Amino acid sequence: MSTRKTVISCAVVAGALVLPACGSPSDAMSEGEGGEGSVTLVMSNHPFQRGIEPLIPEFEEETGIQVDVQTFAEQQARDKIQLNLQSKSSAMDVFMTLPSREGPLFATSGYYEPLDDYISGAPSEYDADDFSRGAIDGMKVDGTTYAVPVNVEGPVLYYRTDLFDEWGLTPPETLTELLDTAAEIADRDPGITPITLRGAAAALPFTFGTFVHGNGVEFTDDQGAPNFDEPGAVEAIDQYATLARESGPPGVINYSFTESSTLFAQGKAAMMLESSNELNSVADPGSSTVTEHIGIVPVPAGSAGPAPTVLSWGLAMSPHSENKEAAWQFLEWATSPETQLALTEADIAPPRASVAEDPAYTDTLDTPTQQAWREAVADLQENGNVEVGPVGSNAPAMRQVIGDAVGKVILGEATPEDAAAEIQSGLEPLLADG
Amino acid sequence: MTATMTTSTKTARRGEHGKDHRPTRRRAGPAPVARGVWPLMLPAVIVTGFLVILPVLYTVWLSVSDRRPDGSNSGFVGWANFSRMLDDPLFWNSVRVTLFLFVVCLVVETLLGLALGYLLSIDVPGRRIFQGLMLIPAITASVAVALVWLLIYDPSLGAANQILDAVGIDPVVWLGDPNIAPWSIAIVDIWQWTPFMALIIAAGIRSLPSDPFEAASIDGASNWRKARHVGLPLLMPVISVAVLLRTVDLVRFFDTVYVMTQGGPVNSTNTLNVYGYRTAFIDQQASYAAALQLSLLVLVVAIAGLFTWWRRRQTIEY
Repeated sequence: MSTRKTVISCAVVAGALVLPACGSPSDAMSEGEGGEGSVTLVMSNHPFQRGIEPLIPEFEEETGIQVDVQTFAEQQARDKIQLNLQSKSSAMDVFMTLPSREGPLFATSGYYEPLDDYISGAPSEYDADDFSRGAIDGMKVDGTTYAVPVNVEGPVLYYRTDLFDEWGLTPPETLTELLDTAAEIADRDPGITPITLRGAAAALPFTFGTFVHGNGVEFTDDQGAPNFDEPGAVEAIDQYATLARESGPPGVINYSFTESSTLFAQGKAAMMLESSNELNSVADPGSSTVTEHIGIVPVPAGSAGPAPTVLSWGLAMSPHSENKEAAWQFLEWATSPETQLALTEADIAPPRASVAEDPAYTDTLDTPTQQAWREAVADLQENGNVEVGPVGSNAPAMRQVIGDAVGKVILGEATPEDAAAEIQSGLEPLLADG
Repeated sequence: MTATMTTSTKTARRGEHGKDHRPTRRRAGPAPVARGVWPLMLPAVIVTGFLVILPVLYTVWLSVSDRRPDGSNSGFVGWANFSRMLDDPLFWNSVRVTLFLFVVCLVVETLLGLALGYLLSIDVPGRRIFQGLMLIPAITASVAVALVWLLIYDPSLGAANQILDAVGIDPVVWLGDPNIAPWSIAIVDIWQWTPFMALIIAAGIRSLPSDPFEAASIDGASNWRKARHVGLPLLMPVISVAVLLRTVDLVRFFDTVYVMTQGGPVNSTNTLNVYGYRTAFIDQQASYAAALQLSLLVLVVAIAGLFTWWRRRQTIEY
């Protein structure tokens, strides 16, 4: 008898130990913190996130909805977001997304709540038609809107006005001039890095894309097959890799935007090929030594003419959210004209046409740097190609293929011809798969 | 593991005290379980079942099926994921990287650990404090260690190149050259785990009986011969436990690489575990990642099994 009792009590204890282990810890957390009126928001470390966080208390006060913000570095944020979505967890309601990269993958996987009904049901002050065409189209997959745009960004060329004046240089307008200018800077001052740019495999396609388009190559043809067998592709790889190898910083192969911005802000690089979004990181007087000396021009043109690329980050809603109404209220607030105007103070280029032309915003851009920046961003918005990389549900893997192949050329381990062939054969199955 | 170690040490000692001059091949089995006690083990068995066995079975299922990113599974696909793995140059590259880090780190950590452990076993004032300080790398989170080393390795601003510069050596691109990056990662692991090896070995040296060394002295053995033919064999059980612990960790090398290089540059530090992570979380191919991780499991079990087998042979001889 006593043995049986022991068995039963042990089984109960064991069950009690095991059951909590079945639910995910984040589920337990949201139950503790939230209720009807709370929204959990997962963001990646980005100028938009740094701009919106201080504004959130206003939203909480206005609506009584409590916002729980979780911020991670870009890749860790993706891990966290994808874990929540894969496990169909209700612990996350709203997340930052980059539809140009993961849109088709997330849309076919059912990771996005379709937003068209919410947008059409929004009050007239929201004015959804105000979003610039490129920005809102970038949030759509097969005609369905899955996110609302929060910014506009694209690669631009930053340069040091003081050094260019001193050496009598003018900002390069073509890729050939860019390579020559970089070489000349190396002659003038061997102590400074002529140009800092992306070399890390996953990050590189964003800036490399402008070289591809600039040489008259689209990532894919009409049938959805890769185009890296065109001569322009070899030229693009050669130019980008030569620039990085000959004129880039030591260890450029590991560089992404954080490393480049740090180097440029410390006055150790004469030029930087980076997103327009990095203005705040390189011009912030608190961390930058070159605040007064930053010039910005559009990305230099290739043999086929100027070819900027443009993308927008968006805010999306989890289909597994249990507070969809509150989540939409947050999305509506975060992308409203008022909030987007407030975000311009943090150097976030607005995806809304009305805000971009609002004197309350344009009048604040009073330094030469900010004016040059606004012109470059306007150029992106008008002329930017939205095909930042090859499009498809395997986009992340495809970017890795491109980044690895160009990386080998940067390191001198492969010729541009080899790399183009490697990209061509690497992309074929990934594009065919969807 | 620990139980066998103490048993063998005891066996060695008993031999020296003259009760039993022949090293015994008999290995103590587990004590018979008292009646009525087994239900007490039930919670552990159930928890282990849920936390270990179920996930492994699920991973096996994933690896022979095709799970899509939306959570649906199109069912059994046979060996498709495994045959894809065998044809995947990135898989073989990651096996090579894993084995490289495993061999380099283990050999250096064991040799340095032996030397350092010997120094630590000598009684000098302040030894205990030093011993405490040495534990710091091992108990610091690997992520924090990796972040600090990232700063040290920075090509333009880092301490490593400043030191090299001070002695007139050209700066090294620690993490930006595929030929150097694996070594740079190995240095971090060696820095972090050699003290741990040394502490285990030092404890082992201090627990060695003094009689065999005295006997060897009487026979006229030199210090080197005493260390090589008496000390080292007696220490073997301790060393092999330390080696086994490091082996299991090294084969599934992840955190340092994840923080420092994410497997780059051009996959030169892409260990099997990092590759599996990238496949699952960046490429969203859970089934292929499951196959990769199972191959890692096989690798760990094979290497650990080999060591255990070798250790038993070693133990029986003394």
